[in-house]
Amino acid sequence: MMVAGTIWQRELVEFAQRRRALVIKLAFPLVFGIPLVIAAPPVYAAITLTMLIAIIGALGAGAVLTRERQSGLTLRYRTLPVTPGRLLIERLSIGALIDFLQVTPVLLLIAVRHPSQFAWWPALVLSVAAVLLIGNLMGAVASTLSDSPGEVMLYVFITLLPLLFLSGVFTSLTEPALLAVSRLLPFTYLHEALVGALGGQPNLLAWETLLGGFGFLVGAAGLTGRLGRRVLESD
Amino acid sequence: MKVDTASEPSPLAATGLTRTYRGGKGVFDITLKLAAGEVMGLMGPNGSGKTTLLRMLATAATPTGGHIAWFGNANPHDPSVRRRLGVMLDQPAHFDKMTGYQNAWFFAHQFGLPDQLARDRLDELFRWSGLWDAREQVVDEYSLGMKRKLTLVEALVHRPSILLLDEPTLALDYRAELDLIERLQLLSLTGTAVVLATNDVHLAERLCDYVIFLHDGRLIREGHVPQLLTEVAGSKEVQLQVNSPIALESLRALAAVEAANVEGDTVHIILARGANPAQVLAVLNGTADMVSNMRVRRPNLGDVFLKLTGVALPAAHR
Repeated sequence: MMVAGTIWQRELVEFAQRRRALVIKLAFPLVFGIPLVIAAPPVYAAITLTMLIAIIGALGAGAVLTRERQSGLTLRYRTLPVTPGRLLIERLSIGALIDFLQVTPVLLLIAVRHPSQFAWWPALVLSVAAVLLIGNLMGAVASTLSDSPGEVMLYVFITLLPLLFLSGVFTSLTEPALLAVSRLLPFTYLHEALVGALGGQPNLLAWETLLGGFGFLVGAAGLTGRLGRRVLESD
Repeated sequence: MKVDTASEPSPLAATGLTRTYRGGKGVFDITLKLAAGEVMGLMGPNGSGKTTLLRMLATAATPTGGHIAWFGNANPHDPSVRRRLGVMLDQPAHFDKMTGYQNAWFFAHQFGLPDQLARDRLDELFRWSGLWDAREQVVDEYSLGMKRKLTLVEALVHRPSILLLDEPTLALDYRAELDLIERLQLLSLTGTAVVLATNDVHLAERLCDYVIFLHDGRLIREGHVPQLLTEVAGSKEVQLQVNSPIALESLRALAAVEAANVEGDTVHIILARGANPAQVLAVLNGTADMVSNMRVRRPNLGDVFLKLTGVALPAAHR
């Protein structure tokens, strides 16, 4: 019997024990990923994969934390001798890591299919990690707004869709103001990295995208720690 | 003999504790102090604020007013405070897809127990609680009673200085209830302070040194158990099981009746010292076919509450 003494170990043990969920979770991105990476034009593949990665992070965390709030587990967390910031960082970073494992086959497929675009791989890895962590954080914050998982998912979508639009995911942004806004959103860097790694024509250079992804990853980790009390100790 | 811990500040002290909810409900202006080894009962009907008060004392809810200190430390987020608390909340929440032992192991480690110590204590507690054979079963398959036992195991494993238990005997069988009482008595003797939120008057009378009565979120009476029981000493409680409603007002009008209330199909009547239960039957003269059962017994803490508020504590625990 596997045992877990820390929050991140517990997440992994529970994930590993739910075999059916594990298979579905790993197979789901491939269902979209294989036809997109193999047959779709880079720009469309990048749009769909950016949405998929953003949604995977946000919905998973939102649903799990809402369920835990309903079952009373969140109340129990409040009695643990762990600061809420640390607890949330552990929970969401391991959640993001599991989500990363989930999209890894698609990322590998991109690398195999477009080996000449290797300059974009570091930027892609970092921006995927950043978007997954930010998505997990969005889901966690959304879970404090309602006790209903359906309503929480709605809040996630209502927030994500305009942000994806402002990131230039759906259409190229030409207005200078909108372009400036897009640089402040993590989805921009993921989208650009995907376009680059899929052999398309990105608007940013690989190093700019790498820097953006890294900045958002660090920023998301810091913000997660600060929001711990807000997410886990709000009534 | 209780352990001498006079050099340490009071394990738990709360002043003017308040938590309000929308709609005006909540807990208002509660002040209490708990000594090492003392067992305190929080009693009151459903919705009286027991759970809210216990959650605040357990750091699971934030007061909207007032002040709590645990061993002199008023920071509820301080891990050193929480490490000294053992909490059993009303909902036995667990990671349902993990086994009972995996759950308990996780909580034991959260409280800083090293592997070998955690293993030894969990083995002992799983045997004590009767969960040994189910330790490798996922919690999803546990009954409510088993889940509550598991929560008890998790609350006890790190040997806390303060135990905060919400309805600890709920869903437990009689044997488990006796084992729990015995364990809590032992822990109290070794200096553990215990707060119980309960409606179980027998548990409270057997275990508690001090009881706080809550009604509509307010503290209406407190005192040592023997002292509270003297308020109803010599009187009797008459329980009438009735087939159809009876006029309570005519009963309350009797000089011999100190309090009367209906709960479900049972009428609870507190008779004054020296009063004869036959006087009650005399009022019901001609309606005796309404009464299917009558019981006279010595009064308990539930009767003190009934006398104070006119409200009976839930029947299951009387």
